Amino acid sequence: MSRFLVALWALALAAQTDEVRNPRTSPADVAQGEKTFRSHCSPCHGFKGDGGRGPNLANGVFYHGSSDADLLRNISDGIAGTEMPGLFYSPDRVWQVVAYLRSLNAASRPASAEGAAQGMALFKSKGCVNCHRIAGEGGRMGPDLSEIGKTRSVEHLRQAIVDPNADVRQRYWFISATDASGKAVEGYLMNEDTYTVQFLDMGQRLQSLPKAGLRGYKVDKASKMPSFRDKLTGGEVTQLAGYLSTLRPAGGAR
Amino acid sequence: MKLVFCILAALPLPAQVTYERLLNAPKEPGNWLMYSGRYSGWRYSDLTQINQTNVSRLKTKWVYQMPTTHLVETTPLVADGVMYFTEPPSNVVAVDAETGKQFWRYRRATPQKVNVCCGQVNRGVALAEDRVFVGTVDAHLVALDAKTGAVLWDVEVADYTKGYSVTVAPLVVKDMVICGIAGGEYGIRGFLDAYDLKTGKRRWRFYTIPAPGDKGSETWSGDAWKTGGGSTWVTGAFDPEQNLIIWGTGNPSPDWNGDVRPGDNLYSDSAIALDADTGALKWYYQHVPHDVHDWDSVQVPVLVDEEMQGQKRKLVYWAHRNAFYYVLDRTNGKFVLGKQFATQTWAKGLDPATGRPVRLPNVDPSPEGTYVWPGVQGATNWYSPSYNPLTKYFYLAVWENRSVYRKGDQEYSPGNRYIGSVPLIDLPDEPGHGAIRALNPKTGERMWEYKLHTKPWAGLLSTAGRVVFGGSDEGYIFALDAGTGKELWRQNTGGMIRANPITFTSKGKQVVAIAAGNAIFAFDLIP
Repeated sequence: MSRFLVALWALALAAQTDEVRNPRTSPADVAQGEKTFRSHCSPCHGFKGDGGRGPNLANGVFYHGSSDADLLRNISDGIAGTEMPGLFYSPDRVWQVVAYLRSLNAASRPASAEGAAQGMALFKSKGCVNCHRIAGEGGRMGPDLSEIGKTRSVEHLRQAIVDPNADVRQRYWFISATDASGKAVEGYLMNEDTYTVQFLDMGQRLQSLPKAGLRGYKVDKASKMPSFRDKLTGGEVTQLAGYLSTLRPAGGAR
Repeated sequence: MKLVFCILAALPLPAQVTYERLLNAPKEPGNWLMYSGRYSGWRYSDLTQINQTNVSRLKTKWVYQMPTTHLVETTPLVADGVMYFTEPPSNVVAVDAETGKQFWRYRRATPQKVNVCCGQVNRGVALAEDRVFVGTVDAHLVALDAKTGAVLWDVEVADYTKGYSVTVAPLVVKDMVICGIAGGEYGIRGFLDAYDLKTGKRRWRFYTIPAPGDKGSETWSGDAWKTGGGSTWVTGAFDPEQNLIIWGTGNPSPDWNGDVRPGDNLYSDSAIALDADTGALKWYYQHVPHDVHDWDSVQVPVLVDEEMQGQKRKLVYWAHRNAFYYVLDRTNGKFVLGKQFATQTWAKGLDPATGRPVRLPNVDPSPEGTYVWPGVQGATNWYSPSYNPLTKYFYLAVWENRSVYRKGDQEYSPGNRYIGSVPLIDLPDEPGHGAIRALNPKTGERMWEYKLHTKPWAGLLSTAGRVVFGGSDEGYIFALDAGTGKELWRQNTGGMIRANPITFTSKGKQVVAIAAGNAIFAFDLIP
C-alpha cells in the first residue's frame, strides 16, 4: 500500500514537468498565492491546505489530477459534480496559488513504508479497530478511516489521536432521549430536522424517529473517543498518523 | 461506557440481506431488494393494500430532492425500513423509507471528462449482506457499508478513457455482484462481469464479442470485434433452478454503418444465458442479426413458467426495441413465438421457425437518410416491463415513432464516439406518440392500450391489487386498472419521469415510489 503511494507521490512530482509549467514560482508568487489561498480556499481546504470540508491539498496527491495544468484548470473552472467552484481570477493569480500549494507539497513527505506498517499494527493492537473501520474491518462507532488520508493531514490526524475533542464532526455527536414507553434511545446523529431525527443506534441499526415522541432529547457534542496522549508514545502517534495518512481512495481521475 | 462501545461493535449486525432473502424476495413484499423486485424480472408485488378500489386516494408521503442536474433513472431499493438509491452521476443515498430523511450519502467524485452516450445516468444499486453496490460513470464498481456509506472496496471494471462506463444497477447472485458495461456508442468490446462481493475480486468475465478463434467469431471480419460494442447496460434476470444468468446485450459498433463488420455480429443485440458460477455461455438468442439501427436487446428478461403448446415450459418474455415481442424457451434459447407489438416498416415478419427477421429491401441507413419505423429509440427501450401472475398480462411502455436513419463514414479513435452518423429523430411530419400496452404474453396479442400524447421513458410496476403504475415524460405518475387499462389515479410531479416504480411497506402501510424530475417521490393512501 504505502510503496504504491510513494510511487504515486513521485509520479505527482514528476507530473510537474509535463507540458504546461507554472510560470509564477518566485518566493513573492508563493507569498501572494498564500494570501489568495487564505481568503478564498481555506474555508473548505483548511488554513494550511490540510483539509476540512474539502480535501487535503498539502500532500501532493490530487484526486482530480496532480499536474500544474490540472491544478490551473480545477482552480479556474471548478470541478463539475463536486462543491468546488470556479474562480474569475487571471491565470497569473491562479498560478500563484498553485505555487503556494507546491510549497506545501514540498514540505510534506509520505510516511515511510516501515512507519506505516508499524502504524497499521498499532491500529489493531491499541484498540482503534474496535470503533473505527478500514475497508470494512472494524467498528462503526467512530469515523470510517478507509479514505481518511484524502481529507486529513498528518498533523490533523496526530491531533485527533491525542486530543479527540479538538474537532468533532456533527456526524459523531451523540443524541440521547427517552421514548414514550420510557425506553432509552441513543446513538450517533446522522441527520435531524424540526420534526424527526436519524441516527445509528448502539446496536448499529439505522433509526429514524419523530421528535414528538421523545422526552429529554439531548445532543452531546463531545467525542466518545478517549485521548491516546498517555496511551501511545510520541513515536507511536507519529507512526499511527503516518499510516492513516496513507489511506486514500482508489479510482477517480488520473 | 467505553468498554460497552467496543463490545457492541463486535456483535453481529441485524437485518442483513442474505442470498436466501434475495432468492425468496417475492415472499417479503414489504421490501424491494433488487432492481426488478425479484430474480425473474417481473417488477410485480403481492401487496394489495393499495388496490383498484382505493388507489384514487393516493397522496404524496414525502419527496427527496437531489442536488443534481443530471437525468435521474434510478430504481430505489428498500430493505428493513431503509431506502437506497443512486443520485446521478454516481452518488448513493440512504434515507428513512418512512420520512425520506437522509441517513448518509456517498459522493463519488467523477473525472472532468467521461463519455456516456446519453447522459451521466445511473439506474440503481444492489444490496447484499450489509453492503450496497454501485457502478460509476468512470467504470468502477464500488462496495459501500449499508450503515454508513463508507467505501469497502472500489475496483476498476474498465478504462473510462476508452468510452467504458457503468450505468446499470448491478445484480447480486450468490456471493457475486454481476455488473454490466455501457459504451456501445464508443466502440467498446462489451462484457458481463462477476465480482466477489466480499473482496471485489473479479470471478469471471464473459465477452459479448468473441475474439478470433472463439465460437461466434466467424460472424465478424478483421479487427471489427475489437470495437464491436455489445454493451450490457440494463440489469438482467437470474434463473436459480438452471443456475442461469439471462442478460440482454446492446448494439454492435459502429451503430449506423455496418460496412466494417459484415456478418451477424454475435453476440450483439442478443439474449445471453450464462452459467452463474463460471460465466460460460449456455445459450444465446440474437434478436437483430447485423443491426444497423441501434436496436439493443437491453430489456429486462421476464422469466415465467407457463403452459405453452400443450406443455409446461420455462419461458422468457421479451418485448424488443425492434417492435417485435418474443417468447423464448429458457432451457435452450429456442424461439417459441414472435409478434409485432408496435408499428414497424423494416421487416416482413419473423421466420416462424427461428424468429430471424425477414428484412424488407432499402431499410438500411443511407447517406441521404432512410425513413424507418420504429425510430432509433425503439418501440420500447430500457425501462422495465411488468408481468402480473393474476391477470397473466405482460405490460410495457411503447413508442410509436420513426427516424430518418443516416449513414456516414466513421473512423475509430479511442474514447470518442464511434457511431457512423446520427439519425434524425422527432420528425416534424407527425409527432408520434406513446402508450402503455398490455399483451397476452402467450400470443403477443394486445389486450388494452392507455394512450399517451408523448413518448414515455418510464417503466411499469404491477401489483396483486390489480393496479399498474407507470409514468410519463409529461411528469405524471399514473395508476391503471390491470385488467382494462382504465386510468384510476394520476398525479403531476412536475418533472420528467425516466425511471421505474417500486412498492414496499413502511410501518405496515404500502408505499409506491418513483424517481421524477430530480427527486424521489413516495406515495401512500390517505388514512
